[in-house]
Formats: sequence, C-alpha cells, structure tokens
Amino acid sequence: MDGLRFDKLRVLVVDDNQHMRKLIITVLQAVGVRDLFEAPDGEHAWKTLRETNPDIIILDWQMDGMTGLEFASLIRNSPRSPNVYVPIIMLTGHTHLDHVRQARDAGVNEFLAKPVSVKAILSRLINVIEHPRQFVRTKTYFGPCRRRRAVAAYTGPERRTEFTLVD
Amino acid sequence: MAINDNARIFMPPISLKAKVGSPTGTLMVDPDVLKKAETAMENLRHEFSGWLAKDIEALANAFSVFAKSPTADNAGVLFRAAHDLKGQATTFEYPLIARVAASLAKLMDGMTSWDASPLPLVAAHVDAIAVIHRERIKDISNRTALVLAEELEGRVVKTLAKASQ
Repeated sequence: MDGLRFDKLRVLVVDDNQHMRKLIITVLQAVGVRDLFEAPDGEHAWKTLRETNPDIIILDWQMDGMTGLEFASLIRNSPRSPNVYVPIIMLTGHTHLDHVRQARDAGVNEFLAKPVSVKAILSRLINVIEHPRQFVRTKTYFGPCRRRRAVAAYTGPERRTEFTLVD
Repeated sequence: MAINDNARIFMPPISLKAKVGSPTGTLMVDPDVLKKAETAMENLRHEFSGWLAKDIEALANAFSVFAKSPTADNAGVLFRAAHDLKGQATTFEYPLIARVAASLAKLMDGMTSWDASPLPLVAAHVDAIAVIHRERIKDISNRTALVLAEELEGRVVKTLAKASQ
C-alpha cells in the first residue's frame, strides 16, 4: 500500500522521563520517522528546536523547570521561535477538562493521554497532518483555533471580541 | 484568510499534508507499518518492569527527602514523581500502581499546607507501590491490591476534606 511518508517527518520528543522518550521514539522509528530529536526539558528543547526546526513536537506536560505549557506558549509567542505554527502534541497524565482548556490556551494542537499506545500515537500524528487547524490571532491569543468545528449555536465565552493585532 | 473586527483566522502557511502525503495522495497508514510499530512496542516489553523500578526508586527518594523536610518544593518533587508513575505505570503494565500513584498525586496536589503533614499516609502509598511491583501484580482485578488501593483512596478523600476545613 502507498501510505503516508513518515520518513519525511522531523519530530522532536520532549519528556523528562527517559523511558517514555525511548518508548515514543521507538514507535516513531518503527513507522519510519528518521529525523528524530529528543530533549529532557524545556531549556534543551528550545535549543534543539532552534537548531533542528522539527515538523511536529511531542511534548510532556509535567517537567522540571519549564513546564510543557510554558514551552508551548514560548513556541507560539516568542519572536525567536523558528516556527510558531509547528503542531504540538501534548503528552499528559492530566485528563480533566480544565487541563485540556489550559493546554488549548497555551497553543497545543492535540492531546496524547497516558497510557500511550501505538494506535494513539499514530492517530495524533495523522490528525495534525491530515487535519491542520486554522490559526487565530487575537490581542490575547495566538495559536490553533480552539473551536474544533463551527457551532452555529455557540454559547461559550466570546474570546475573540477583543481588539486585534492584524499584521 | 478570514478577517473580522475581532480576530484574524487563517491556515498555517506550512502544509505537512503536502510534505508527508504519498504520491497518489492517499493519507492511509500502511497496515504493515502499523504492525511493525506494534512489534517494536512489544519488543520493549521486557524492559518495562526495569523502567518502572527506576521510577519507583525516584519516588522513594523523593519521599525520603520530603519526609525529612516537608517543604513546598519537596512536595512538588514528590508530586511530579507520583504523577509520572500515574501516567506511565499502565503503559508499563502495572495499572494498579498507576491507580495508587494517582491517589498519591491527588493527596500531594490537594494539600495546601504541610504543617500537619499526613506523612504516614504518603508513606503508605509509597510502600503500596513498591509492594505491588515487588509482587509483580499486573492484574487489575487482584483482590488484595484492589482493597489496598481503595483504602488509600478513601483515606486521601478524608484527609483532604479535613485539611480544607
């Protein structure tokens, strides 16, 4: 079968747990990803990101020092970020709705909840490839659109009703 | 590109679909690739118990430091160690360790002051995790471990309720 060319992907895996990094990297290597980079914390990840400019980042939430949320926010908002649009898949043991909201507000594209499986990893990868999210820029937020689909009867907070910094 | 008075909405300029999609345009995952990845994960399984042992050791070390000096910083280190186990133990085939670690993470996260630190309850969680691993209890329906997990969870609920009064 003529499938997705994972061998063309560049992926950065950021997790302070070396075993979880090894597991994710092993799965990615097995599906054909060749350009794999890893970092144990946000500081190293930032350096690696600027040196390698990956296509996708798989990022742990809970890390010593800079958290995954802070790192995601840095990627989206820093003028020194090499790619403010890079898809971020957040790896986390947090599954409460509040945590999902926090991650979305930091500019995360997808959630990969622990425990992880091969199918879950691939499903998130395919989602960021096949269904790229629109980006939104408002005065207080820059990142993937936090509304998954258009809802005519949307009744949530209207966070876009702000002055906008249009380039 | 959509522009309104309040937000600028647009598609990112970089398309991974164009980069990774096959020449025929299909976005399917080759079933052989999926099988290869499952096999790679399977081949790692013999390492899972050893990996978990190191994570449990890190938890025990964090607890040892916290027991001597129950500061907010040391509580944070212990919380992260418990949270790591909560997330990883099921992947590494010990779901009941994940459950007990989740209970410990809840306790560490919920305590606002460590002046009246429930150290024995924290210690009981750390010990329970060590025992479940030592006895290689991977079965989520193991009666003894289940009772232990439920007891710990119940005590955490009571402790947090008391702490919030």
